[in-house]
Amino acid sequence: MKTIEDELKKGKTNLDQLEVPEELELKLRNALVKAKPRRRTGWQIRLAVACLALFMISYNFDTFAYFGKKLVGYDNVMNGALKELNELGKGQLIGNSYTFKNGILFTLDGIMIDESQLFAFYSLQDPTGQVDVGQMNHHIQIEGSWGRYYMESGRGELNEAKNQINWITSFKPPFFLEKKMHVKLTLTGNGKSNGEEGEITFSIDRKKAMGYTLQKGINETFKVEGTKVSLESIAASPTRTVINGSIQNIFELAMDQIKEERIRPKIVSIKLLANGQVVPEQGSQMSTDLKGITFRYFYDALPDQLNTVQIVVESLLADYDVKQQVALEENGRKQQLQILGQDIEVNKVYQSRGSTYVTITTEEITVLTRVYLIVDGKRIELQETITNEMQKLADGKILHIRTLQFPATGKSYQLDIERMTSVKKYNKIIDIPVN
Amino acid sequence: MEGIVLIKKAKQGDKEALLQLVMKKKQEYYKLAYVYVGNKEDALDAMADMIVILYENIAKLKKDESFSTWSKTILVNCCKKIVKKSSKIISFETIEEVAVPGDFEQKNDQIVLENHLLQLSDKHQEVIRMRYFLDLDYQAIADILKIPLGTVKSRMAYGLDRLKESFRGENDENH
Repeated sequence: MKTIEDELKKGKTNLDQLEVPEELELKLRNALVKAKPRRRTGWQIRLAVACLALFMISYNFDTFAYFGKKLVGYDNVMNGALKELNELGKGQLIGNSYTFKNGILFTLDGIMIDESQLFAFYSLQDPTGQVDVGQMNHHIQIEGSWGRYYMESGRGELNEAKNQINWITSFKPPFFLEKKMHVKLTLTGNGKSNGEEGEITFSIDRKKAMGYTLQKGINETFKVEGTKVSLESIAASPTRTVINGSIQNIFELAMDQIKEERIRPKIVSIKLLANGQVVPEQGSQMSTDLKGITFRYFYDALPDQLNTVQIVVESLLADYDVKQQVALEENGRKQQLQILGQDIEVNKVYQSRGSTYVTITTEEITVLTRVYLIVDGKRIELQETITNEMQKLADGKILHIRTLQFPATGKSYQLDIERMTSVKKYNKIIDIPVN
Repeated sequence: MEGIVLIKKAKQGDKEALLQLVMKKKQEYYKLAYVYVGNKEDALDAMADMIVILYENIAKLKKDESFSTWSKTILVNCCKKIVKKSSKIISFETIEEVAVPGDFEQKNDQIVLENHLLQLSDKHQEVIRMRYFLDLDYQAIADILKIPLGTVKSRMAYGLDRLKESFRGENDENH
């Protein structure tokens, strides 16, 4: 007879077969990046903000040299605003290097600072040509006398020989009293530097820094089905434009949690217009912390000749209460439903092995977050979504087709939709005074 | 020896050294976390929570050689917090149209064992899992859980007894 110890030993074998996920190191590293600096506290305690890192690597790159006061070799990783500024000779050339013990050369070519961010232009190079630097990861941060500055986003480009990669990485702007800064870089992945930190020191030349071109408080709040969305401020600097806002403060979040009525907004769609033209969006960031849910939207820099600036709040995608019951046709025929302005097509209702299956098609974003099937008056919980299929239409619209399984069968069926995600259109225009 | 150097560095605020300390024994930490939370995502989250707490508090660690036990105690607490939270909050991702899979009809050994273990209270489960799944001795378990050695032994004995009863009950039903 098997003893209990034998059974437990089997459990151990299963656990021993577990492999540590590869992403562990990155996960821990990111957690540490967000950890607040330990040695300096007091006024400097700041909330860790989720870092958003965009790594894009493409495979064409030709020359790398300095001409006058411009940075060359970063053309393909610069956006429109940066390119223009570079053409104008804005920014500060550094040109210092550090060689790692494994031979990798780290060169800080230059920086660009405005009130909204700091850009570091740097390259990693393997002079021997042995190491594929594209397979190499790194971690970079800048330290000053007044704090540490963590990477917010970055773009890199690998040359064809794969022995050099040029990066442009953005950081929070340095505190105005900062003078001497230390860029610290560690290599991970292939070509790991085993904790060796490449350090390059430079002094900020404030004459080369650029200020804000426009900075205004907005303080507009509007309500969406019980959710408060506030647009707080807009700040345009020569490198980018940032709109700051929040959705619900922490107190409201806590209240909702208690009332079990959480609305989790997913996407606020905001457009920025300058002189009536749409300003391209660069990205956005949403985080939940002690202040509630805050968001930041990033756009390209505003044009020099600025007549009007408008913010258009187009729509909000969120989870809404529906509480609607719809009788499903007998014989499982096709049926078209309209709920909260969203189309839901019931393609098929069928029974098999004691379960009822309902196939529906909706737009990509529509999700029935709480749905039941009332079978002969009895409410049955959703057991599983068994198929999931996306279909792209000619006009670019994406349809989501799936089959919901409810573990019961009967004669009459009603679909009971309690909550679903939906887009509410607003199209509210806020004029920002330019002068 | 190298470990002690790394601990010294980590105490001075060197994040890379701390990261290396954890990565050197990643298997031990990961398995410990997995035993508590039972899935990859939560195990990774627990380790991320742990490393932040380690970083913020390592300066307070008096004996360098107890780093391993100290960090594992913290990891266990992080895991317990995650387990507690996940039983209360349903995150947005999980309330999408996916429900809990139905009854497991296939009775493979592991599920059977797991079901029996789940009958025990948390404190009895954890000592058994640590002893048998992670191969830790009684003293190590006592150190990590910060409970007296005697308590570990009595919990273990009680837990095993209950587990045997539970197994016996099932075998009787089958025959």
